[in-house]
Amino acid sequence: MYRMILSLLLALLLLPQLVLAAPANSNKALSSTPAVQIPVFKSERALAKVQGLSKLEITNVRYALHKDAVTGEVTLRMVIDATGPIKGTAVLNDLPVPRLEVAVGGASLGKLGSQQKLDGKIASQVKLMQVNGSSKLVIDLENMIDETDYRIFALPRDIKADKPYRLVVDIKQPAPPIVYNFTAGLKGKVIALDPGHGGSDPGAIGPGGSQEKTVTLAVAKRLQTLLEKAGAKVVMTRQGDRDVYGASATAVDELKARTTVAAKNKADVFISLHADAFTKPEVGGTSTFYYRKSMYDGLLAKNIQTNIIEAGKLSDRRVNSANFYVVKRSVMPAALVEMAFITNPDEEKLLNSPQFQQKMAQGIYQGLDNFFVEASRNGGGR
Amino acid sequence: MRSTTRYLLCLILALAMLVSGCASSLPASDMQSGNSVKSTQKAPQTAQNGNEVKADIVKITVYRATLDAVYLVPEIHQITRNESPAKTALELLLSPPNSKNVVSPIPKDTVLKKLTIKDRIAYADFNDKIIKNNIGGSASERLLVGAIVNTLTEFPEIEKVQILVEGKVIETISGHVDISEPLSRSIEIIKK
Repeated sequence: MYRMILSLLLALLLLPQLVLAAPANSNKALSSTPAVQIPVFKSERALAKVQGLSKLEITNVRYALHKDAVTGEVTLRMVIDATGPIKGTAVLNDLPVPRLEVAVGGASLGKLGSQQKLDGKIASQVKLMQVNGSSKLVIDLENMIDETDYRIFALPRDIKADKPYRLVVDIKQPAPPIVYNFTAGLKGKVIALDPGHGGSDPGAIGPGGSQEKTVTLAVAKRLQTLLEKAGAKVVMTRQGDRDVYGASATAVDELKARTTVAAKNKADVFISLHADAFTKPEVGGTSTFYYRKSMYDGLLAKNIQTNIIEAGKLSDRRVNSANFYVVKRSVMPAALVEMAFITNPDEEKLLNSPQFQQKMAQGIYQGLDNFFVEASRNGGGR
Repeated sequence: MRSTTRYLLCLILALAMLVSGCASSLPASDMQSGNSVKSTQKAPQTAQNGNEVKADIVKITVYRATLDAVYLVPEIHQITRNESPAKTALELLLSPPNSKNVVSPIPKDTVLKKLTIKDRIAYADFNDKIIKNNIGGSASERLLVGAIVNTLTEFPEIEKVQILVEGKVIETISGHVDISEPLSRSIEIIKK
C-alpha cells in the first residue's frame, strides 16, 4: 500500500515536468519556486490535513525591516505564523489614525499577547484582537499609504527550512511627507550640477578610449549655459577635470564632497550626470535614477527621463528607484542621469559629439522646467 | 503483486529521470520564471524528493545578468553537500556562467578572500579587483551588488550581506550603489 502511494506521488511529480517538456509556455502559475517542487508541497499539505493538524491557531507575529539592496526601497514585513494554512484580507483606514486592518479568517489567537511594538518608521504598533473564531490585526501606520504600497499573501509550510504556515503583510515605506515651497519657472532657482567622476577617476571608458568624466563635464557645461540664460543659479560640483575633494581622497570623501557642495549652496535640486557601461557592447540606452527621500525625487527623475528620451531618442531604460550614494545622501530632490552607454561604440560616438551633448543638455533643461511646474502644483505655496 | 509494484516503481523512476533530464536541457526561457538555467544533467528530482533524497546533494542558486543588463536571473547548480555551501555559492558566482544567454556581472579576476556569517549577516570580503576591473556605470554596479546579495540571501540563515573589499567596509564600488551597510535581498531586480 505504501509503495502504491509512493508511485502515485512519483506520477504526480512527473506531471508538471511533462508539461514543461512540451514547448508551450504553460508555467504561468509557478512563481519563483522551481517547478518540480510543487507536487511535493501539495502532497505534504494533504497529509497534514489527514493527520488533523488543521486546528487553526496563530502562533507568532514577527516583523523585519527589509531594504532592497538595489532599489533602496524599505519595506516592513510582518509574518503571521500559524498551525495551518491561513488566509487574510486587508483594509486601509485613515481614521482615527492611518491604519491597515488585517482580518485572518478562522484562526484563533492562541497564547499571543494583545499588542506588539513595531519599528516606528513605517508602523508604530500592531494590536491583536480575537473576534469569535477569527483574528484581527490592527497595524498603526506612521503615515498614510497608498493601496499599491502594501500586499498580503500566504506561504505554505516549509519543512526543510523549518518554517510554519505563514501569512505575510508587506508595507512599503511611503515617501516622507516633506513639502517644498517650489514655484514654477527656472528663474532664481539654485541647480546643483554634478558631472560624474573626474580627476583621478576617469569613470567608465569606451572602446574608442573616451572617458566618462570628459563627456559628463561637457554636457554639464552646456546645461549650465542654458540654465543661467533662464535666470537660474548653477552650482557645479567641479568646473574642470579634477577630483571634487582632492586627488588623494577616498571614494567616500569624493562623493560626500559632491553632496556637500549642493547642501552648502542651498540648491533646490541636485542633478548628477553619468554615462553607463556594461560588458556587452551592444547594450545601450538612457536611464534616470532617484531615491525616494520625498515625493519630489521620483517626479524630478520622471520629468528628466521623459525629456532626454524625447531629445536623444535612445532606447528607454526607464526611471528606476536606486540605492545610489549621491541621490540618497543629497538633502534636496535629486536625480542621476545615465545619458547613454559609453561602452556601446555608436553611443560612445554620440556622447563625444557636440550635437548629442547639446540634445542631452536641452532635454535635462526641459525636464527641470517641467519639474518645477509640476512640483509647484504638488506642494508649492503651502 | 509486491514485485509487480516494485517493477512499476522502477519504471516510473526511470521515466522521471528521463523527463527531468529533458527539462533541464531545455532553453532557459522554458524554465520557471522564464530564465533560469540548469547547470547539471543530474536527475534533479533527487534534491526535492523529500523522503528518499540522497542527502549529500544540495541545490545552489547563483544570479546572472540578462544580456540587456536590466535583470538578474537564477542559475541553478547541484553540488555535493560540503561544510560551507554559502562559500561554494559565491565561488560558483565568481566563475563563468554555463549559458551564453546570460552574463556574469562580476568583474574579471575577482576573488573571494573570506566569508563569515554572524547574527544572520554574511560578510563577504573580496580582493580589490572587484573595484579595479569593474567596468563602471549604474547598470553594471546594480547587477554586481544585486547578484552578490541575492546569491547569499538564498540561504535561510543569511538575512543581510555586507560587502567588504580587502577587509574594509566601503561606500561604493564605482561611485553608485551605497554598500556601506548590510543589504537585504533585492526582489525588484530579479526577472519576473
